[in-house]
Amino acid sequence: MAREARQDAAPVAPIGPATLAQFLLVGAIGLVASMFLKGALAVVAAGAVAALMPRRIAHAPWVRVALAVITGLTVHFVLRMWPGADAAADAVVPEGPVRESHTLLSWLIGLPTVGALAVLFLPRQAPRVLKGFTLAIMLGTLALSIPLLSVKMGRDFHFNQDVVWLESLGIHYHVALDGISLWLVLLTTFIVPIAAFVSFGSIDTRIKDWCFSLLLLEGAMIGAFVAMDLFLFYVFWEVMLVPMYVMIGVWGGTNRIKSAIKFFLYTMFGSVLMLAAILYLSYTYSRVNGGNPSFDYFELQRVALRRGTQVWLYGAFALSFFIKVPMFPLHTWLPDAHTEAPTAGSIILAAVMLKMGTYGYLRFCIGLFPEAANEYGASLAGVAVVGGILYGALVAWKQEDMKRLVAYSSVAHLGYVMLGLFSATSSGIEGSVLQMVNHGISTGLLFLLVGVIYDRRHTRLIEDFGGIAKVMPLFATLFIIATMASVGVPGTNGFVGEFMIITGTFVSSRLGHVSGIQSVGAAIGVILAALYMLSMVQRVFFGPITKDENKHLKDMNGRELVAAAPLVLMIFVIGLFPRIFLDPMHDAVARVISDYDARVQMHPANALEPAKGYYQGPVKLLPRRPEAPKVVTMAAAAPEAPKTETN
Amino acid sequence: MDSLLSVFPSKDFSLLGIILAAPLLGAFVNGVWGRRLGRDAVRLMAITAIAVSFGAALLTFLALDREVTHAGHGHVKLAWTAWDWLYTTGKSETQIPIALRFSVDALSGVMMLVITGVGLLIHIYASTYMWDDKSYWRFFCYLNLFVFSMLVLVLGDNMPLLFVGWEGVGLCSYLLIGFWYGKMANAAAGKKAFIANRIGDFGLICAMFLFVHYTGALDWNGIEAGSGSLVTVNEATQVHVWPIGGGQFTGFLKFLQPDSPITITAATAVGLALLLGATGKSAQIPLYVWLPDAMAGPTPVSALIHAATMVTAGIYLICRLNFVFVLAPGVMATVAVIGAATAFLAATIALVQNDIKKVLAYSTVSQLGFMFLGVGMGAFTAGFFHVFTHAFFKACLFLGAGSVIHGMHARIHDDDKAQDMRKMGGLRKYMPLTFWTFLISTAAIVGFPLTSGFFSKDEILFKTMTTELVHPDAERLGKKVTFVQSLWGARDPSHFYVPPAWLGTALYWVGIAAATMTAFYMSRVVILTFFGEFRGWKLGRPSQIDAHEAAAHDDAHGDDAHGDDDGEHHHEEDLTKPGYAPHESPRPMTIPLILLAVFAAFAGILNPGLLKHFGLPLPLEHWLEPLFEESVKVGVHAKEGAEHMELMCTAGAFGAFAVGVGLAYWVYVVQKGAPAKQWAEAAPKLYKLLLDKWRVDEAYEASVLSGVDALADTATSVDKGVVDGILARLTALLVAAFGTILRALQTGVVHVYAGMMVVGLAGLGWFFVMPHPDGHVVEKGSGDYSIVAAPGVGYGYIWAEDGAKKPEKEVFSGTAAFPLHVEPGNTKKVELKVRNAFGIVGTKTFEVTAPAKAAPAEVIEMGQNGHGS
Repeated sequence: MAREARQDAAPVAPIGPATLAQFLLVGAIGLVASMFLKGALAVVAAGAVAALMPRRIAHAPWVRVALAVITGLTVHFVLRMWPGADAAADAVVPEGPVRESHTLLSWLIGLPTVGALAVLFLPRQAPRVLKGFTLAIMLGTLALSIPLLSVKMGRDFHFNQDVVWLESLGIHYHVALDGISLWLVLLTTFIVPIAAFVSFGSIDTRIKDWCFSLLLLEGAMIGAFVAMDLFLFYVFWEVMLVPMYVMIGVWGGTNRIKSAIKFFLYTMFGSVLMLAAILYLSYTYSRVNGGNPSFDYFELQRVALRRGTQVWLYGAFALSFFIKVPMFPLHTWLPDAHTEAPTAGSIILAAVMLKMGTYGYLRFCIGLFPEAANEYGASLAGVAVVGGILYGALVAWKQEDMKRLVAYSSVAHLGYVMLGLFSATSSGIEGSVLQMVNHGISTGLLFLLVGVIYDRRHTRLIEDFGGIAKVMPLFATLFIIATMASVGVPGTNGFVGEFMIITGTFVSSRLGHVSGIQSVGAAIGVILAALYMLSMVQRVFFGPITKDENKHLKDMNGRELVAAAPLVLMIFVIGLFPRIFLDPMHDAVARVISDYDARVQMHPANALEPAKGYYQGPVKLLPRRPEAPKVVTMAAAAPEAPKTETN
Repeated sequence: MDSLLSVFPSKDFSLLGIILAAPLLGAFVNGVWGRRLGRDAVRLMAITAIAVSFGAALLTFLALDREVTHAGHGHVKLAWTAWDWLYTTGKSETQIPIALRFSVDALSGVMMLVITGVGLLIHIYASTYMWDDKSYWRFFCYLNLFVFSMLVLVLGDNMPLLFVGWEGVGLCSYLLIGFWYGKMANAAAGKKAFIANRIGDFGLICAMFLFVHYTGALDWNGIEAGSGSLVTVNEATQVHVWPIGGGQFTGFLKFLQPDSPITITAATAVGLALLLGATGKSAQIPLYVWLPDAMAGPTPVSALIHAATMVTAGIYLICRLNFVFVLAPGVMATVAVIGAATAFLAATIALVQNDIKKVLAYSTVSQLGFMFLGVGMGAFTAGFFHVFTHAFFKACLFLGAGSVIHGMHARIHDDDKAQDMRKMGGLRKYMPLTFWTFLISTAAIVGFPLTSGFFSKDEILFKTMTTELVHPDAERLGKKVTFVQSLWGARDPSHFYVPPAWLGTALYWVGIAAATMTAFYMSRVVILTFFGEFRGWKLGRPSQIDAHEAAAHDDAHGDDAHGDDDGEHHHEEDLTKPGYAPHESPRPMTIPLILLAVFAAFAGILNPGLLKHFGLPLPLEHWLEPLFEESVKVGVHAKEGAEHMELMCTAGAFGAFAVGVGLAYWVYVVQKGAPAKQWAEAAPKLYKLLLDKWRVDEAYEASVLSGVDALADTATSVDKGVVDGILARLTALLVAAFGTILRALQTGVVHVYAGMMVVGLAGLGWFFVMPHPDGHVVEKGSGDYSIVAAPGVGYGYIWAEDGAKKPEKEVFSGTAAFPLHVEPGNTKKVELKVRNAFGIVGTKTFEVTAPAKAAPAEVIEMGQNGHGS
């Protein structure tokens, strides 16, 4: 299609300077006009894209419309979320109790899950219906997730819903959202439709099962990000595993079965240990709470444990998360899984599922076991730098398979994220959370683009290409943009996250005297990133075309372009306007840090417990943290007078 | 101008936005619609964008001048904040906002004018030079983007924003060097440039986090205000080089622990990090190797990026942060030494190169070395003045070379051959305008008296000779030590290191040597290119191999419509037959040449250091004074009798010019190049070494690159073999082994199963028959505890506190809890005896320790959690 478009474009007379001048004049007038009509800028931008998109890029009318809508929405998003705009809106709306829907998060989890069940009742013979339905559900979820942005996040948890699930075991259905999980939920609802949309172009077997897996996966991922009950978290965590396992195993490449099993076993190994730790923690809680167990995050946060216990529990949680991240030396499942997974699987795996590990560490390891996190943070930061950033980059450089290369680059990128978390400064953690989103976007885009070329040539080996910038200029342009984002060139999203993490690491007092060398190591990773990414770009895109098969490759088609467009736009939106993303999470991160500090400083180190900050007495409960949501149970049980311990 | 300032107040000078936005718009329009626009429209867009930017820059400069006059003496800035970009946190969680804030002051004002002015001329030139290229639009998209990035670099008001421009120009340079990406060599050169620059960028990142930590700011004013904390004498706040970060080696590693840790001041660390960045961008030792390769890009790119603007960014950075550099005299000296060494080394290489662009490339490296030498010796104005004049004459030289190559293309349709000076000669006749402009610029670079280059280079050499670096805190600190002592030996906060006074004299002579060589090789270029006979007539037929390759190339990108250029289309041609003569370039190419040549000749008037004795003003010195005044005062000290040395220094510089040019004249005109051949034959190895550029590339290849390569190979095999192979397999093996053992038990023989059941039941029985004394301690606050025993069938308990007398008769009661009071800091032991329904007794001892400090605030809340109940 691309080639045809090019061929009829060729005889068309050039636009010429006079027309260009007219266009520029109209553009200037439009821009000035839209300054007066604030909201109109989005419409103007959308219109401009629709009208001016070159034919070689937008092949068909629907592509033009779709790109225009995407642009308009992005511009609208930026204008709406602009810090100044927010202040203006605040001035209009009087301060008061903000109305928050308590069921919104449940809708976000429920819609895809119920959608997945509904897919089971649709006819297998109607792939278009299945695809359309799936996409509609996903876009509906995305639309539903927009209201999350309307609330000023601050330090608190929002959209809190707490329903008793299994009363005798203290298991609740408790979901809530703060400024940290906000962006991860949005990342999920944003990425999944893109992945699904692009996959519909290349997946053509077992569409029904595919749609079912995608929807179930989305529901579970959102659930895991908002679950505030550890049992519930664990349920989502495990549910998430199954569709991905199926996706790799059924629609994957030649070695798919082995990779799927490897993926499953690695992840399962960690999560079983985590389950044991969750159960033990809950049991410990019940022992000091008159036999009433609880799995509630905010309750379990109160348990003060001695070092001996805490280190083991921390270890079990951390191991599970480190496998998921993945951190050296637990990372080898990732390249295999990525290489064999279908494109959409890779996108979701890289963009969202890996973030479960980093998010989990931030929320649960730091939140529940701050003293242990404090004790091991500096050493683990060393692992993140040497084993993640540097080692991952070096291994990536030597890969011959494009997907494996990108997979190892993920190891390096997530090394940065983990480093930021270990540094536990607000710059470091905010940079980490932003980098989680960044990595989702730029690596998601890279996987998408590798998928594009895989669909054409059915190979991902770098040596099978060369010089294809000539035949696929648009593809090459987008790939280079994604590369630059991944390398962290300023102006793109990658820079903001890395910069914040590196400076946050250097000023961190938690990392002790190694913070300097660790930030230097992280900065060296910036050089290596350029090395491996640009080597690949050079070998794939530049030079003469050496293979005959590559001479007539088609450039990106409409579907691929529409799928890639939002990611490309977000690269620049985050790169240029990171405050939109940082402001809502700022206070939540400050809360995490103050909780952390409060616990670590509560019990200064002494001769008995030379490791910093552990509590030494018998297990006890600390007061609830000030920002923990009020205990509101939706059970019908009448409020009871607080029991007093008599014995 | 006052009306301009009323529209754009100095705190919100949004005209800067137009300077920046115009090239960005040009890049965007040409990038997205370029292919459809047609060449005319692309040219219009690109040139208009830069022209608008230049016009706005001129207005800005005038407004700035007005402000300076208004404010009298002082550092004046016009600033404009686009929006808040991001923030980071410094020490103890102080928030450091980073805004997209642009500002123009004396220094960036001049840079801005050079970038947009020279940029405009080069755009006009390139619009003709690149006319036949298929990717005309792409070229101008990149070129406009470059101008934008460069403007961000100089106008950015804080370090991260400078970094945006810094990486942006690196990216554009990457794209433009590899513009003709059909040849792998070009793409490789682009990648090399990008990675060498990234090594420099690593330095900048390090400098940024050091600034964040030590000065708590990233904007120029903030860094200046906080720069005092970069030189604390307190060892704890210095940068610990060894042991890294200030740790302690204990145990068997103790031998690594020095008697006193090796530290450097933060100013030194920052300075070295910034210097690394500057060497990357400004092509100095050790990172200069990318620049000669960068000549693979189109010639206007070489003129704009790799001669006039981007490569001077390093000097701009040092001038911008001069107040940081002067705090570390050691770093200043390093800058100067690197500069002098680079000037010398690059000049030696340029002596023997045959490719006209390669000679110019090495001459650029060499001239940048002079600039480093200047700023390193604290002559910031002189160094920056050389940036200014170099922008004109080197841009003119490159464009002239481009014009020559363009002209030669009439005769030779091969890029490499069209650039070979051995195939030129006598072009004066065919391209008079090009010849005269080239000659004027050469006069400037070799230091012909009263040209711009003469004044700027002379000033640098004079300042090098007559200044010595001093330590800003010398009086307070007291004891001067040698370099080695400053790192090792007994440490004392009062010790400080200052480079020796003879450094300036030594570097002066190195500079003179480099200047002599400059005069020689530049004269050689002019003579070989423009004088004598045109040797292009006598070229032999291209070898069969060449022809074959050319044919293969044509095949490879036969009919595609993308990203290719005329330079790549080799035509087999019979060069023995008379063909078209080289021709003068068209007017859009010659007019920029003429303008640049005029500036190259007369720009010296802005700072004619030598002529100040004749009453001429020094406008540039005066203009830049507020920026450098303070630093020069604290960091540099003029040697005694400096003013009397001026004529002597100038004589040296003039001598360098005269010797170099005279020698070249003798060798290449009088003797027709015979001595050059003799010398090459007399010392073939040296000649080869110079021709191979001292084999530095090869040395890097063999050391650093292959080192990293080996490291990567090791990492990869570790990943495959150890991590995936051994660790993962071992775990799997463990599980499998366990499975094998268990499988052995699953025999399927009923007797065995029955036997196992009996054993199991016996075990269970034993468990039930034995009592299980167990319990846990509940804290009730203020030293009260309660020990709760675990319940069991028919259990009776006896509690005995340690030290309490034992009851005569042991009575097992049903009391499952035992209250206890422990004084803070004390420990009590309680013994629990449990008797179960079978009458068997078990014992367990509890030990309760109350924390030393009572913490009344932490009253635990028993049973108040009110949830789930």
